Amino acid sequence: MPDVQPLVSEFVLKLKRRKVEGSHAVARQTAELLRSVVSQHRMGSTNQAAALADAIRSVGEQLISANPIELAVGNIVRRVLHIIKEEDISSTAVGIEGLSVTVDSDDEYDSGNDDHPTLSAAVLASHARNALRAPSLQTLLDDIPVSTALSRSASSTGDSDGKTAGDKSLKTRKLKHDVIAAIGDLIEEIDTCYDQISEQAVELIHQNEVILTLGRSRTVKEFLYAAKEKKRSFRVFVAEGSPRYQGHVLAKELVEKGVQTTVITDSAIFAMISRVNMVIVGAHAIMANGGVIAPVGMNMVALAAQKHAVPFVVVAGSHKLCPLYPHNPEVLLNELKSPSDLLDFGEFSNCMNFSTQDGTPLLNVVNPTFDYVPPKLVSLFVTDTGGHSPSYMYRLISEYYSADDLVVQRKSTS
Amino acid sequence: MELDAAQNPNPDPPISAYYQTRAEHHAVVSSDWLAHAAAAAASFPDAGAGADAAPPPSPGSNGGGVIEEFNFWRRKPEAAEAVAAIMALAAVIRSSRATTMMELEIELKKASDKLKSWDATSISLSAACDLFMRFVTRTSHLEHEKFDAAKSRLIERGEKFGEISLKARKTIAMLSQDFISDGCTMLVHGYSRVVLEILKLAASNRKLFRVLCTEGRPDRTGLRMSNELAALGIPVKVLIDSAVAYSMDEVDMVFVGADGVVESGGIINMMGTYQIALVANSMNKPVYVAAESYKFARLYPLDQKDMTPAHRPIDFGVPIPAGVEVETSARDYTPPQYLTLLLTDLGVLTPSVVSDELIQLYL
Repeated sequence: MPDVQPLVSEFVLKLKRRKVEGSHAVARQTAELLRSVVSQHRMGSTNQAAALADAIRSVGEQLISANPIELAVGNIVRRVLHIIKEEDISSTAVGIEGLSVTVDSDDEYDSGNDDHPTLSAAVLASHARNALRAPSLQTLLDDIPVSTALSRSASSTGDSDGKTAGDKSLKTRKLKHDVIAAIGDLIEEIDTCYDQISEQAVELIHQNEVILTLGRSRTVKEFLYAAKEKKRSFRVFVAEGSPRYQGHVLAKELVEKGVQTTVITDSAIFAMISRVNMVIVGAHAIMANGGVIAPVGMNMVALAAQKHAVPFVVVAGSHKLCPLYPHNPEVLLNELKSPSDLLDFGEFSNCMNFSTQDGTPLLNVVNPTFDYVPPKLVSLFVTDTGGHSPSYMYRLISEYYSADDLVVQRKSTS
Repeated sequence: MELDAAQNPNPDPPISAYYQTRAEHHAVVSSDWLAHAAAAAASFPDAGAGADAAPPPSPGSNGGGVIEEFNFWRRKPEAAEAVAAIMALAAVIRSSRATTMMELEIELKKASDKLKSWDATSISLSAACDLFMRFVTRTSHLEHEKFDAAKSRLIERGEKFGEISLKARKTIAMLSQDFISDGCTMLVHGYSRVVLEILKLAASNRKLFRVLCTEGRPDRTGLRMSNELAALGIPVKVLIDSAVAYSMDEVDMVFVGADGVVESGGIINMMGTYQIALVANSMNKPVYVAAESYKFARLYPLDQKDMTPAHRPIDFGVPIPAGVEVETSARDYTPPQYLTLLLTDLGVLTPSVVSDELIQLYL
């Protein structure tokens, strides 16, 4: 697709150079880019959904490899792939069921299925619906290769009804239209996630509460604003979140809204945690086991909260929900940023010159961006779909993503 | 070893036939056994058929025949217990003279109940029987076609279950590869074919890792496991069961199989698994369970004694005085809070997913 490639390359470059940061912005721009890809994709006459999915996969592969730490990119790519599958299967299943009602005996069916025992339309429709869900115990013993069954019946319906070329292109446009509409819904969902999450603030924050947060998360900020709107009286301890000290910015914003705020250093968190009722923090990504990738320092907050039995609440939009399992998150899902955040080059440049015998400098500075919080330390996830426990994440994942999209790779063209 | 066809061979004291079979298949081996096994494995399809007698004659309407059929398939060391059960039920369908789905279902139910009562201790047996029964009921409601077509489909699916089981193991092995990183040390307990498959695949992908293997008394199936691992060229260290806590700090992760996965997400496995999980949990080591999905059972044990007792004779090497009791249970229950993840052919699951799957299947 020559039309879309410059857009894709531009976005890939932005991701590589970390010009666009933050899950929300990244997710939104990825979704918009994929919508353009879909709308400019030329639909073939057969196997449209697979070709469309392939196009998305090839673009997705480039985007994900540009910044593998930014999990929101992969999330949106997989959501779009799932959308394509959903729209395709639901329209075909509807078609089959409609057919079984209108047509009684169909010669095309028998002639087409010599090597396969004759299957009624009801079976095919139910298998079509099952194919959408993740593999389960119910379908363990089933064997129908759904795609071939569907395509066979789809082609036979085409022959028996004598559909014209016009009808076929109508079906083509319908799939594209449905997918674009669904991606539009996804973009809206990403945009309105703050409002949906903030609606739940009233149930969580009661009178005279003391809340602790780390750094500055936009979701947490909106959450606290909403509680303040509803006249809840609460105080906030903001841990500054070194080395970027975004907590200072959040403190200022909260004071502007009339919230009583206290700024503390990260090292003071353990000392203050016993005076706190609840910890509310944002996340960079939520993994499939319920673990959280969050700004550095969050694991410490979670451990302190567990020690003093303080509820640890994570607020995050559903575009942050990632279907992958964290195998070695401290290493593989982390990024080391520039040491200049910690040490001033001017003062320390002479330390960099001293080296050991093999040439490595004596002074090393490690500045990781993220921290991994294991699921057992999290009490509650507040997402735009409501409040859930960490053990429930798998359900949301099976709703939003398909099992075979975990590795986004272009399938070989047939 | 001749087994009484219609009755559990050792009714008093109640010895679990399931664990007896496992011990026969996987217990201590000598080096010449290993050589013999290696030669046999090279020509496995033939060796298996040649070693056993010809399959027993079709059961007909004689209920006892399903047990014979089951025992025939169970003898094969590579096949899972569940596969043997479903093959036996498929054979019942094949030889059935029913003319409607309802009759067939009733016959199958009788055969399935007979199998379950023959060995009440085997969880994968009863889970597989229930799974097949559900499949039959669903098939009969869904398809408005001729009875013979439905019957042949059921037989075909039942006989294909052996392939499904092997495919399940391969899927689990593939899913687990990401969890094994270079330079890691893992602890395994006893002999599990699924875990062995995982380690085989990792070794063939040239991953560098080390395995600590417990002995697994009283069957000492862990020794068999260590033989197999050594044959694959994986560095193995054998521990006595009591040395697990001692070695736990050098371990990065624990891999166990399961005899059954219960509704709470916990597992029932060879005696010693609970102990290992407790130690691993207290030292913050992840415990991964590799289990095929057909082992999910509708059981909910609340404590260790809440299951059908399954006993194994234990040989201490010296005679035990008359008044002294011996704990002979062959298995224990590990609650879900000590397990990190379940690696199944349905994907990587947290323990809370199990009840969801079972509800979808049964309700």
